[in-house]
Amino acid sequence: MFHKFVNAIEVLALIGVAVVVVLLFANEPDTGSTTPSTPGAQIYAASCASCHGADGGGGIGPQLAGGAAAERFPDVADQITFVTDGSGSMPSFGGRLSPAQLRQVVEYTRTL
Amino acid sequence: MAETLAAPAHTTAAATRRLVVVLLVGGAVAVALGVYGKAHDPTHEQPYTWFFTSTIQLKVWFASAALALAIAQVLLGMRLYDKISIPRHAPSWLGDAHRLVGTLAFVITLPVAYQCLWALGFQSTDTRVLVHALLGCFFYGVFTVKVLSVRVKGLPDRMLPIVGGVVFAALVGLWVTSALWFFTSRPAGIPAT
Repeated sequence: MFHKFVNAIEVLALIGVAVVVVLLFANEPDTGSTTPSTPGAQIYAASCASCHGADGGGGIGPQLAGGAAAERFPDVADQITFVTDGSGSMPSFGGRLSPAQLRQVVEYTRTL
Repeated sequence: MAETLAAPAHTTAAATRRLVVVLLVGGAVAVALGVYGKAHDPTHEQPYTWFFTSTIQLKVWFASAALALAIAQVLLGMRLYDKISIPRHAPSWLGDAHRLVGTLAFVITLPVAYQCLWALGFQSTDTRVLVHALLGCFFYGVFTVKVLSVRVKGLPDRMLPIVGGVVFAALVGLWVTSALWFFTSRPAGIPAT
């Protein structure tokens, strides 16, 4: 009885794998309509969105949207320094982005 | 005497061929996941949160549950191989319990892996993220090897416990580079659940 139950669970697991594989390909986003328009938005999508969310709503990293970024860093220069140097779980982007890119992405986060 | 104990050459060759095929299939799974993660355009969305604050919290707790089940499965496996003697008399259902716990651990990783692949893709923004991405692909590849090792006859006897140990080590590595990192390094204001 228990053996048959375990067999059934294994079959369900296999079905689960199939569902995940189908979803990975069936749920592909329409890249044509979601390509960020500005350089800051493009940098944000590539470097920040995985932690702070596509819309800045937060995730692993804190929320940036709704004025949260500007509220925490009233002076934009302080936010650029923070993003450049990193702090705690926030990685340093100084070695990955140019000063111009850092300013673009920081300014973009303040518009979310 | 040594000649009578040695395995026939054709048996060894067949076992080697099977072993190579199993390893190649596992490698193909790992590479396929990596290629998908790299080629796919990440959505950065949270497809489900269920009863957690966000998908991130769901992922770290599901990964932790999978690790707990994996620890239980290793202990059950050690009892199956008589490496531990608790309980003194192994019940007849021990093998099925080992399979069930392992299957549940694997199933619990699926929503985590789906969100990783679909929403985040294969990233290398820092060492932790790169190691996590590589381990994620490796885990499902070596898990495939383990499942095939159970099903394919004639493989070396030691293969199953060794591959099982590697699967467990990969899962521990995944947990350390994700859930443990989240629990210990999450920014202030980000809830744990």
